Order: sequence, then structure tokens, then C-alpha cells
Amino acid sequence: MTQLSSTDTDTSAEAEPQPDERREAWAARLADSLGNGYAEHHIIGGSDLWVRVARDSWTDAATAARDLLGCQFFDWLSAIDWLPSPFGRDMDAQEDNPEPKAADPMEQGHAGGETRFQMVMRLYSITEHMGLTIKADLPDGDLSIDTLIGVYPGADWHEREAWEMFGIHFNNHPDLRNIYLPGEFEGNPLRKDFPLLARRVKPWPGIVDVELFPGEEDS
Amino acid sequence: MTAVGTDQRQQLAYVATQAADARLNVEIETEGMTLNIGPQHPATHGTLRLVARLDGEQVVEAEPIMGYLHRGYEKLADVRTYPQVTTLINRIDWLGSFANEVPFILAAEQLMEVEAPPRAAWIRTILFELSRLANISLFLGDMGMQLGAITPVFFAFRDREFVLNQIEAVTGGRFHPNFDRIGGLKDDLPKGWIDETRGVMVKMRNFCDELEDLLLGNEIFEARTRGVGVIPADVALSYGLSGANLRASGVDWDMRRDNPCGLVHDQLDWKVWTHPDGDSFARYWVRLQETREATHMIEQMLDGLPGGPVMAKVPVIIKVPAGEAYVATENPLGVMGYYVVSKGDLGPFRVKIRSASFNNISVTPWVMRGVYVPDVITILASLYFILGDIDR
Amino acid sequence: MGLVASGKAPKPLTKLLNLGRKYSIWMYQWGLACCAIEMGAVIGSPRYDVMRLGVIPFPASPRQADLVVISGTVTDKMVPSILRLYQQMPDPKYVISMGSCANCGGPYWDSYSVTKGVDQVIPVDVYVPGCPPRPEALLEGIVLLQERISNEDPAARWRGDPIVVD
Ligand code: SF4
Repeated sequence: MTQLSSTDTDTSAEAEPQPDERREAWAARLADSLGNGYAEHHIIGGSDLWVRVARDSWTDAATAARDLLGCQFFDWLSAIDWLPSPFGRDMDAQEDNPEPKAADPMEQGHAGGETRFQMVMRLYSITEHMGLTIKADLPDGDLSIDTLIGVYPGADWHEREAWEMFGIHFNNHPDLRNIYLPGEFEGNPLRKDFPLLARRVKPWPGIVDVELFPGEEDS
Repeated sequence: MTAVGTDQRQQLAYVATQAADARLNVEIETEGMTLNIGPQHPATHGTLRLVARLDGEQVVEAEPIMGYLHRGYEKLADVRTYPQVTTLINRIDWLGSFANEVPFILAAEQLMEVEAPPRAAWIRTILFELSRLANISLFLGDMGMQLGAITPVFFAFRDREFVLNQIEAVTGGRFHPNFDRIGGLKDDLPKGWIDETRGVMVKMRNFCDELEDLLLGNEIFEARTRGVGVIPADVALSYGLSGANLRASGVDWDMRRDNPCGLVHDQLDWKVWTHPDGDSFARYWVRLQETREATHMIEQMLDGLPGGPVMAKVPVIIKVPAGEAYVATENPLGVMGYYVVSKGDLGPFRVKIRSASFNNISVTPWVMRGVYVPDVITILASLYFILGDIDR
Repeated sequence: MGLVASGKAPKPLTKLLNLGRKYSIWMYQWGLACCAIEMGAVIGSPRYDVMRLGVIPFPASPRQADLVVISGTVTDKMVPSILRLYQQMPDPKYVISMGSCANCGGPYWDSYSVTKGVDQVIPVDVYVPGCPPRPEALLEGIVLLQERISNEDPAARWRGDPIVVD
């Protein structure tokens, strides 16, 4: 076999402590350039960085990440609905009239948040080999945010997906229409209060298999 | 041959020029036409529909219409437990199923702060690369078929069976293994498997050589792929292209080398292949080299397989502590990642699936502007997508 | 074929016709998802080779096909196309539903966009279970279909009798 070593496979030299400082530095630079639009950040050492920005700074954050941090690679964009599922525990059937329960408190994840819907975008720098997740809160009454197409053209389809799945409107998006579902589909499936109708008809049997094998006695 | 007088000949020539002129006029003043390919068309590997507005033979605008296979993974993952989710996500990229499980399991492990024992990590990587072989070998054959050569696809199906056999021998499933567990693997390798796999690797390399002979040197193949569908590196990055599509545009970036979280690629001796051209030929070429490279990688791993258990200590009923994690790996089709949000339940709170083909194919409206109709097929084939990976 | 359509064909002739139809099935491939690859293996791989059963898997259009194999996940968006395909096929026509998805929704039984079984839209002759079914299972399904063809009264299809499974 001939020599198959690649140009820089030498990963052993990369000792671990630096990444944290690098991520801190990234966060600091973003905070500098965004000013008031910057809310907070969360770092898991050696692993990942989350940054939350204000809704109005959404495109600015993307531009800054691209130009200042070198995140040329657009990974993905989506949203999270933080509402605890009104249909109870995951495994249960989704009954028609679930008994009214005390609503679980809404709890946002890393880098915090205040509202039910949060935008998430993931960018990556192929030179630094580091990525970051940028979040932005969307106020409940006005689910809209600026489009990222100007910064990353690849955001087009992701935004259409988010629009269809969550009902989030993207300002200035040229062509906001369904990407997956047929035109007459009603509802936004990824919202937590969208019920799965098949589960109402037949509940999930449970975590363990409760059906007996043929010929097996019920003991 | 009948003799034709000079007068008559002049007359015929006149008529012929008139006719040629008329044809030319017709050709220039073409009316726009909309061509609909799909949703079920052999050239689209599944249920992609492509609506192209044509001007003569040129594509003015092409738009893929997806969703014919949208199954709602992200919603279904909300109502399933972690072990159930792996069953489901097997079916995203169905040619390299095992590779789909890996990033999700790694993300869950990251949240639980468990680590798979070394042997499990190695076997994982072996299976990961085997699924790459199973996946890309079909591409190598299929690309030939899209361009009119039937033989390669038969070769691909023939040799792919050997890889599937090896996967089946370990996992019990030809397609959908569901073999990866949080904290390790379900089982160890069966007896005699390592030697058999070595034999299969030789077969796969022969397959690559065969295809190289059949296609790469072929004039028709070159004429139809060189310079067709060129994607420059910066466009590729801003659309989020990944995998061989990106490396064929000259970007030297491979998650396996640069971000080897949980897998053992960094302990192997291998090379990331790139190609500066960014056209369809480059994409084919890069994938061919990667297939070969994968066989070498697997051989190294078979040699260096450490001993020990294949499962770490994890509770029987898996509850993942609250938190968020994003793990991406370099799957056969490109970067695939899972953004897992957990609230400490049996099931995930939200799973965002970043699938490679969705981004890879989102560049088509850009790249298809102004190409000719036959090139549409070439470009689609060379971008290489799996419908399940686009629609999820 | 007026004789057959009116149901007046004598028994031996029916047998002969059925024998001919049984070994010359033109199969249209409606591959939708993972199962389509197993169907591809049945067609393309020398190990399985469906043509030895007298099935010709390359009709140019559904108008030439006797059999359609629906393999894979049927979504609500896809259903109109399947209906149109079925209407285009000439009688007598047969349908094999391959894989759990096409049979009943399979792993996506609770999804919001997947049709729970293709038999909600078109009548199915043979169900091939599995996720995905092995290529051998599809071959078995085809053999079952051939058995059925050899025993059936061809006129029933023209009369539009309900299809009875035995
Ligand atoms: S039955 Fe299974 S293998 Fe077949 S299409 Fe459905 S999920 Fe895929």
C-alpha cells in the first residue's frame, strides 16, 4: 500500500484546552459586532457554542458569523416549539379530550429564551472546524423574522420548511410556499399542539410488547 | 443515380436552403415549454419531481418539487422513545442505513455522558464505512445507467450483495440494521467475519477498477460529464453542500478527519480526495476514490480491532438528561447531523434532522439555469441524492 | 377476446390462456422508498433475477403493464399519481403491494402525511410483508400471483366481480 496520509491528519497535536478559548473568543466577537442585539451565550467546553440574539439582529448575526468568524458553511435552519406537549407523556394515546392538566412550565434550552417559538440556525467554519448554533426568540403574536437568503442562498428551502412546519413567516422571502405537504394540508405539523390523529384511534401499546405470541398462555 | 441537369440542381439547392432557413427560424423562435419529469421517473431515483421551463433545448428554470416521500420524521421522533427513534431513522438514507444511526446515537451519548467502549467504536466505524460502500457502489453503477450504459448498474447490484451479506451477518438486516445502541452495539462480530470481509474488500476494489475501466476512460462518459454542472466552491458552501459534492469543488473538508467525534477515523491512515473542477465528472471521480479509500480503511480497522466488551453500562430503560446536543458525521451522502433536545424524558423533545441530500439538492435551481435537457439528468445523477434523505 | 369477456370460453381454452398470461407478466415498477432498492435487486441483481419467472420488468409505460408493484411508502401527496397510474393500466391488471409501508403504513403508522396502506386507494392482489421484504419474498409474491392467475376465470375481471381471495 502506498503512502495514504493526508495533508493534515495530525490531530494529536491539537490538545483540547484551546477550543474553549476559541469559542469564548467567537462569542465575544459576535457580541461586539451586534451590540444590543446580542442576548446571551452558552458554551459546553470542547463541544459546542450556543448564542442567542434578538430577532432584529438575526440577519446581522448571520452576516457577522460569515464575515467575522469565517462560517461559510450554511448547515441548517429550523425552529423549536418549546410548549410542553398538551397530549401528555410521549407514549400515551392522544385522546380527543385530554384531561386538563396543570400546564408544565415552559423551559427553554441552552442560551435561554423567553418565548414559545425560537429560531435556530447552525453555521460551521470549515477552516476552524468549529460550529455554532444561533437562536432568536419570536414573540408569540408576531411569528415573523427576516429571511437569510441574502446571506446564505441555501437558506431558501430551509425557510420554506420552517414556514410550513411552524407557520413562521419570513419577511422578504421571494417564494414562500409549501415544500413538502400538499397544498390543501391544514395545520403546522411540528407545533406541539398538532395532534397525530392515528394515535387517537389506536394507542401505542407501550414500552414493552404487550401482545402475546401465538400459542402463548396468558398467565 | 439519375443525372440531374444544372438548372434542376440549382433549383433543388434553392429549395434546400429555403427549407434550412425555415428550420432555423423555427429553431430560433422557440416557444417556452414546461417539461415535467417525475414524480416517478427512473432518472430521479425515487419520487422527485422536476419542473423545468425550457426554451428550445435549454433550461430556463428548473425547480425540484419534493414531498412525495415526506414521512414526518421530526414529528414522529417527538412521540417515540430513544430506541424507537433509531428504528425510524434507519430509513432516512436507505442505502447506507447504519450510518444514519451513528450521529443520533452519538448525540444521545453526548447528552448522557456515556462513551462506547473502544471495541464498539471500532466496529461502529467498520459498519459505518461498510454502509458507505453499500451506498456509493450503487451510485457508481447508477450514474452509468443514467448516461445510457446499462452494464455498470448490473455490476453494482452484483457486488453490492457481498457488502450487504457482511452487514447482514453482523446485524441481521440487509438494509435496516438497527444495531447501534446508546452505549455501544447490540452484539459482537460473528466468527469468521473478519476474514470474509477481507475477501469482500478485494472484490470491491476490483469493482472499482472495473468501473474505472468501463466509465472513466470512456469518451462518451467524459463528453457528457466534463464541464457539466460546475459548482464553484463558494456557491457550494453557501448552499450547504457537503460530502463528495463539496470535495469535488475543491474544498478539502471531511468531517471524518476534522471532527471525528466518537468514531475512530483519526486513528487510521487515509487520505481525503478532492478535485478542483466541480463538474459532474469530478463528483463521480471523487466518489470512486472514496470507495477505494473506504476499503483500505476497513482493512486497517480489521487489522487493528481492539478487544473488550461492546457495550458500556447503561440503564435498561434509557432516560436522557435534559440538554441539547448537535452531532454531525460524514455520511455517505454528506454531512448528516441530529440536533437533539432532551427534557429528561424517555423520548427526545425535539429532533432536528440535518440530512445531506436536502442541502445538496437545494443547489439545483442555481446550477440548472441554462443547461441543456440531457445535462439535467447528468447533473441530478452526479449530485446523488436519496429521496428519503431529502424528504425525511 | 369477446369470447373470454363474455365468459363463454371453454375450460381448456381458459386454462391455456391463463398459462400464457401467467408467464408473460409485464411488471411496472412503482418504486417509492427503501423497498424500491430491494425491488431493484430483484430486477437488476443476477442473484435473484426476476425474468426467470417469466416476468418482464421493463414496460415503457403503464399502458403496457399487467402488474404494478407498489413498493415503498405511499404518501398522501403521491396518491393521485398512483390512482392515475392504475387507471391507465389495461385490464386485466394486478397489483402487488410490497413492504409494510404499502401494506399498512408500516413504521409511519401514526404519521400525518403517510397513507395507511395503498389498498385504501386501489385493490391489491398480493401483499408482501417485511420492512423491507427480502428479494426472495417478492419472488414468492410473484409466484403466488402466478398461481392465482392460473386458477382464475379471466372473465371475472371484465365483469368486475369482487375479487375473492382464497
Ligand atoms: S416497508 Fe420498510 S423498507 Fe419498505 S419502504 Fe417502508 S420503511 Fe422502507
